[in-house]
Amino acid sequence: MRFQVNRDIFSEAVSFAVKLLPQRTTLPILSGVLIETADGGLRLSSFDYEVSAQTTIEAEVEEEGVVLVSGRLLAEIASRLPNAPVRFTTDEGKIAVACGSAHFTLLSMPVEEYPSLPHVTGRSGSVGGEEFATAVSQVAVAASRDDVTPVITGVQLEIGDDALSLIATDRYRVAIRSIPWQNESDSADPVSALVPARTLSEIGKTFGHSGTISVAISTGEDRELIAFSAETRTVTSLLIKGNFPPVRRLFPDTVDNYAVMNTGELIEATRRVSLVLEREAALRFTFTPDGLTLEAIGSEQAQAQETVDAFLTGPETVVSLKPQFLLDGLSAVHSEFVRISFTKTDNPNKPGPVLITSQSSKDQPGTDDYRYLLQPNLLLR
Amino acid sequence: MHSGPGAEPRSVKPPSVPRTEWVTPGRESALAWEIVRLVIARCSVDYAGRLSAHLPLATRLILLKADGSVLVHSDSLSYKPLNWMSPPCTLSRMEPDPEQAEAGVTEIWRVSHAKTADMLVVSIHEILHDSSHELGVDPGLRKDGVEADLQRLLAEQIELLGEGYQLVRREHMTAIGPVDILARDPNGASVAVEIKRRGEIDGVEQLTRYLELMNRDPLLAPVSGVFAAQEIRPQARTLAEDRGIRCVVLDYDAMRGLDDSSRLF
Repeated sequence: MRFQVNRDIFSEAVSFAVKLLPQRTTLPILSGVLIETADGGLRLSSFDYEVSAQTTIEAEVEEEGVVLVSGRLLAEIASRLPNAPVRFTTDEGKIAVACGSAHFTLLSMPVEEYPSLPHVTGRSGSVGGEEFATAVSQVAVAASRDDVTPVITGVQLEIGDDALSLIATDRYRVAIRSIPWQNESDSADPVSALVPARTLSEIGKTFGHSGTISVAISTGEDRELIAFSAETRTVTSLLIKGNFPPVRRLFPDTVDNYAVMNTGELIEATRRVSLVLEREAALRFTFTPDGLTLEAIGSEQAQAQETVDAFLTGPETVVSLKPQFLLDGLSAVHSEFVRISFTKTDNPNKPGPVLITSQSSKDQPGTDDYRYLLQPNLLLR
Repeated sequence: MHSGPGAEPRSVKPPSVPRTEWVTPGRESALAWEIVRLVIARCSVDYAGRLSAHLPLATRLILLKADGSVLVHSDSLSYKPLNWMSPPCTLSRMEPDPEQAEAGVTEIWRVSHAKTADMLVVSIHEILHDSSHELGVDPGLRKDGVEADLQRLLAEQIELLGEGYQLVRREHMTAIGPVDILARDPNGASVAVEIKRRGEIDGVEQLTRYLELMNRDPLLAPVSGVFAAQEIRPQARTLAEDRGIRCVVLDYDAMRGLDDSSRLF
């Protein structure tokens, strides 16, 4: 196998292929990246039985072949190569990489033992790349990072006629958003897929600059899979098994008690006031017609207080919120103003959740349907 | 050593009462004791045998256990004794020779191991405290409270492993010890569950040994494994999953029914 390839294109392709590989694998062969000559160019693949990544790039192929080489090592080498064409030559289990005056010799791994990558067929369609990336970043923040309940470590994708909804929760908050979906298969039945949040976030970042992303889901079979592809790149992931909790019903139908604030001001004030808080402690938010007062009763040594402008509709309200959970929601609305709505509850031991939505001006709701529902803490005094 | 019926555990007896027979001066003989004796003394200690060690003169706690072992503790350096002799061993008391007496030694205890030539020599300068206690029969080491509770709760809520799981029994006995829970999956196949508070590599190894043994039993095989813990270390998880053992993280508070009011659901 012999080929020559542009340094930047090669480095980018290798880094894409290895990005989703696990940090430690018990099967060393899966830490490799497979490089094949194909259609006058190169095809790079990685696969660890859960996630696969594949891309094709242009190259001057002098001799056809296939080789398997340690992915992370190759990615590190590729990213540090000088600015010159990269030459690959294989010789009996050894791979010679030459670039300018730099030379590397790498060991190859047995290609025969490498598993073949999954091919996903099923319900398919497409979404806008940038829109998808934004929606993933807004929603995935609410996914659980705790392994206690594996189903909520994923982002639930629900595909309807013309919309793709993304939902995530860690039981303390729920984030949900839908984006337009272009159906491309014969069936229009609703289908859902639970994708690991970490993988989906990486996919969002990788494909965010693509015009459109094609999505295919195969469910109901032995292995349930989802595939995302854009331009010459494809990522597949196993779906998480299990039923996602029915969190949509937690959202209130109507709210008549809410406040609108400037998003940036509220983020700044929350960060400032929470400086004196102990870890895991909550901030007290008092909404009155005169504005919103944030109070932190930190330790015995320090307290803090700040008031920001707020436009309140309905009665005065006091809630106690964990600053980080609030900041996650405020940072995800992507609008100049933000609306915090208060829901009623009959349970005296559990305050009603607050709903965070975007607002383009004081009295104009935002353009997207992003909703972030957060459970306040009990008021302690 | 077993205390008979009516024996009072933890009763304190004056130092003169122990059934320890001290040798008459000038002679040495083996001693046996059936109670725990605590001595605080200014002493120096020498160990001779497979390794040599010397502890200079200082005040120390000398523990003479009913099983025959002798342990020398200081008030620091964590839980380990500074020096010790494990059973079987014999303790003999000797009078100091004139040179030692000159240096302030009042008596010498020599602890000899019965099977090796190892010897622990305690040179006593002054005894500050000496008491003996009969501890009675020990109930044995009990499983940590949380771990036992987790086992009980998981047995009651076996569906946490998945829909359709059924409990067979807790503490299923194997030749090398009890498996925490034996259950059946929805297809009726056996599942062995090992429960830990913190899931570490040694817990995975333990479950692996059980699984290997249980899979030899034609009535149980095939047996799959579940490693359940409140928290599972990444290395332990990797090892378990590589061996086909499923990892389940347990939420102790939720299992106990403690409601977290800061949760939505």
